[in-house]
Amino acid sequence: MRTILNKKLTFWLLLSLPAFLLVLGWWQGRIDSMDMLHPTGEWSARLMIIAMALSPLVSLLGAKPWLNWLVARRRAFGVAAFGYALLHLIFYLIDMGNLDDILAEWMAPGIWTGWAAFGLMLPLALTSNDRSMRWLKAGWKRLQRLVYPAAILTLLHWIWVHNSYAGALVHFVPLGLLVLARFLKKPLSQMKPLGV
Amino acid sequence: MRKLIPLAIAAAAIAVLPSAPASATGAIKCKPTPQSSWKTQEVLKAKLVKEGWTVRKSKVDGGCYEVYGTTPEGDRVEAYFHPVTLEKLYVARRGEVLFRKQGY
Repeated sequence: MRTILNKKLTFWLLLSLPAFLLVLGWWQGRIDSMDMLHPTGEWSARLMIIAMALSPLVSLLGAKPWLNWLVARRRAFGVAAFGYALLHLIFYLIDMGNLDDILAEWMAPGIWTGWAAFGLMLPLALTSNDRSMRWLKAGWKRLQRLVYPAAILTLLHWIWVHNSYAGALVHFVPLGLLVLARFLKKPLSQMKPLGV
Repeated sequence: MRKLIPLAIAAAAIAVLPSAPASATGAIKCKPTPQSSWKTQEVLKAKLVKEGWTVRKSKVDGGCYEVYGTTPEGDRVEAYFHPVTLEKLYVARRGEVLFRKQGY
């Protein structure tokens, strides 16, 4: 049982469960295309936030078995975040239904930020495999840092498309604090020998 | 100090969470009016279609009628109407406010 639970495939299936339930609901006509937008976008943001929170957590808390377990699955979180973003985009296109309407609103602050975030996530997802890591060497890490501007664009997209801060900040403030704490931690721990 | 940082973060995160208002769905609110005085959503839809709107979906939100559709000018928007007077109160395109009646 434990080995099945620890299989990477099991984890991929777990992450795709919300997508499966949402698409099923849409297929059966219980959920409008329009109402697919918020949950798919929110899942994408959540998974992105988890993937990004792991290394600050490791640097703040040190190596912990549960953290290692999650870090081993970071790629799954990241790729799933892209998968939900893709689903979000597909349902946006289905809901809009025609190119004219899409072009008419692309420059709205809540819309272009979404397109841009997706554009940044695309190369990240495409290079989330061992082969690309070997091929890009040190450049891989630099490339993956695009997740920071992607996260900021996602946050702005969320705030502006809803014209409200609450939902977006509830998700992104904890991540912001973690990233900030990680950067603050370095000089503090360097000061420690002096302070003692 | 090292142990304090994660604690401080946890405390800050917990402090931030409940500050988000629970009822943040409605872009605007209509003063409560007895449901018996409300016109139906069908009446609103018929009125809008007559004015050149395309209505894709409507529901009650914040005590107003909320409509998703396309304006006679061809903008795909989210609009709010008063359930009694059917007056247009608020129009937004993807969060960008195009119209807001004074006082709302």
